Amino acid sequence: MNFAKRAWLNLLAKKGRTALLILVTSAIMLFVMAGLLIKSAANQATQNAKDSVGATLTLSANRENAFKKMRAQQSESAGSTSKPSGRPSLSMDPVKLSTAAKIAKLNGVESYAATVSASANAQSFDAISTSTGQMTGPMQQENNSGDITISGVTSTASSANFSDKTYTIKSGRGLTIKDAATNNVVINSELATQNSLKVGDTIKVKNTAKTKTYTLTVVGIYKAKSTTSSSGAMGGGMGMMASDPANTIFAAYTFANTLKGSKYKDTADSVTFTVSTPSQVNSVKKAATKLISSKYALSADDQSYQMVKSSMATVTSFADKIVWLVAIAGTIILALIVILMIRERRYEIGILLSLGEKRGKVIAQFFVELFVILLIGVGVASAGGQFVGDKLASQVVSSAQTTTTSSTQGFGGQGGPGQQGGAPGGQMPGGTTRAATQKAQVKQAKLATRVNLKDVALLFGLGLAIILIAILAGAGGILRLNPKKILIN
Amino acid sequence: MLSTEKLTYWYTDKDQYLFKDVDLTFEAGHSYAIVGQSGSGKTTMVSLLAGLDTPKAGAILVEGEDIKKRGLTTYRRDKVAIVFQAYNLFTYMSALENLMTAMSITHASHKGDKAYAEAMLTKLGLTPEQMTKNVQKLSGGQQQRVAIARTMVCDAPLVVADEPTGNLDEDNTDDVIGLFNQIAHEQGKCVIIVTHEPSVAAKCDGVLRLEHREFTWEKALTPTPAA
Repeated sequence: MNFAKRAWLNLLAKKGRTALLILVTSAIMLFVMAGLLIKSAANQATQNAKDSVGATLTLSANRENAFKKMRAQQSESAGSTSKPSGRPSLSMDPVKLSTAAKIAKLNGVESYAATVSASANAQSFDAISTSTGQMTGPMQQENNSGDITISGVTSTASSANFSDKTYTIKSGRGLTIKDAATNNVVINSELATQNSLKVGDTIKVKNTAKTKTYTLTVVGIYKAKSTTSSSGAMGGGMGMMASDPANTIFAAYTFANTLKGSKYKDTADSVTFTVSTPSQVNSVKKAATKLISSKYALSADDQSYQMVKSSMATVTSFADKIVWLVAIAGTIILALIVILMIRERRYEIGILLSLGEKRGKVIAQFFVELFVILLIGVGVASAGGQFVGDKLASQVVSSAQTTTTSSTQGFGGQGGPGQQGGAPGGQMPGGTTRAATQKAQVKQAKLATRVNLKDVALLFGLGLAIILIAILAGAGGILRLNPKKILIN
Repeated sequence: MLSTEKLTYWYTDKDQYLFKDVDLTFEAGHSYAIVGQSGSGKTTMVSLLAGLDTPKAGAILVEGEDIKKRGLTTYRRDKVAIVFQAYNLFTYMSALENLMTAMSITHASHKGDKAYAEAMLTKLGLTPEQMTKNVQKLSGGQQQRVAIARTMVCDAPLVVADEPTGNLDEDNTDDVIGLFNQIAHEQGKCVIIVTHEPSVAAKCDGVLRLEHREFTWEKALTPTPAA
């Protein structure tokens, strides 16, 4: 009868102790498994985010550079004896589309979309007024920048508001690249209702200088998800009526350029490049920077990915802690149980040694006993790990999201890359709208824990390490035991 | 078969030795009793002979070879079988399983032979039902019989017993001593029993007394072992 059979007989004979060991080992394995599952799910979620969230690079005028230039002008004016001609203005060069085309050819760039913001005055229809009373009087008198915001885009689908579903096409169609050089527009459903406009109708707008009238064809009507004036909040110097999001009309970027003037032909306020994978953003940015002058700036926007990554990093770190803490605590608990078990079985060890059994085989017997218990524990953990993992994961993700949401709100307030690009009209999607999207994406990053063979194998390996350490710690005494001391003393 | 050469033992103080320079010889096919007062060192001597402890000085030779050279674990496995007052059986096993385990560990010639183990237990008076019962459910006498049967199924030429009758009544004591003599005389083994009972010692072939740190033969064999 070898040590394995002795171990088996012992397990069967000492049912109470075996049950206790199974209970303790199963509990340890269950929590280690939960930790492993959460970690694995967090890694998967990060990977999914990497694959699906995407990332963008925005090319726009270099505001920092423009400010420096303005300050230099101010200094020059202050130094000269002649009376200053007026307040120095911030002059920013629009992005040339030819430059954008060069960048678009870089490796990793999937597509690009130009954005141009312009203002116009409603001619054949009424803009929606959202006067609040607080803003009446002199401020309104000074409004001469147009009551309609023209958001020039390459296509509505590439516009952030449409891609994040803040705006959806209610009737007709969105703008596509084929609408370039046309006067086709997509208008807000509120504006359409107020003016009884439908797809196919034409509307007239005048440029802000009120020198030219343009006839626009309504090809689509969009509906905003909420009626908050979020983009209006970004409006900056826009007129109060234009600040109502319902007054935003989407047109081809070429038409927005036409409204702004001939010098804006083949330019854009900003160009957004979609990069295939977030990990390529930095390399694309590096390569693109070489193609542009200091008048322009490139800003990376992989925040959606970074936020999911950061949120998942918190979860992974927590899962790591669970695994380590439970593994360490488990080792200690099991080691203590094994030590007690060995003390209780000193006499048996003495008999084995007196019969001439090798110490290694005595240890091997304990190992086999715990190995059988570990197998059961791993089985229990594999069966129940998913349940515990799910419960624990939802708690962890919820706390990670709370943290991320707070930082998102902070981010929106400070302004992100999108705001830089939208400087002239202040209508670039960014700030709050983008932050809301990211929040939604983080929410979508729900952990899907699933027991797989790899995790079971890893758990088994960890369990094996735990019982090995526990046995070595507990059996340390055996190696020092003198059979005479056990059996006779 | 078994001899000691200048065997010396002390616990902590070298000057307070338990016995010193002891030379003894034990022959195969005989039973020996070691008697003496409590605390005289009988159990220590039997522990040394059984390879459960190491002498401080001197040597124990089995078939002319120092047991240290062989290694105490190997010596215990191949050459010696031990019986204790407390039986020292595996309490989570049956009598039969105890024997099978001992046969397996000691690599006995009948290793794995269940029928042989059953025959041995039958010879020692255990019924088939008692053989498969957990040993803790057997009486003291039956448990000691199992312990003796364990020494019989192993091939060890030396059997060492420490107070094997200490927990037994008179009838069982007689039976157990009879069994030990049977092992010595029929199986040709060397049996050494530590006892404080004169009746037990009287039934052995040789009696060795340990008194005042000295071993003396009370009942010697021929040829007389060196004192």
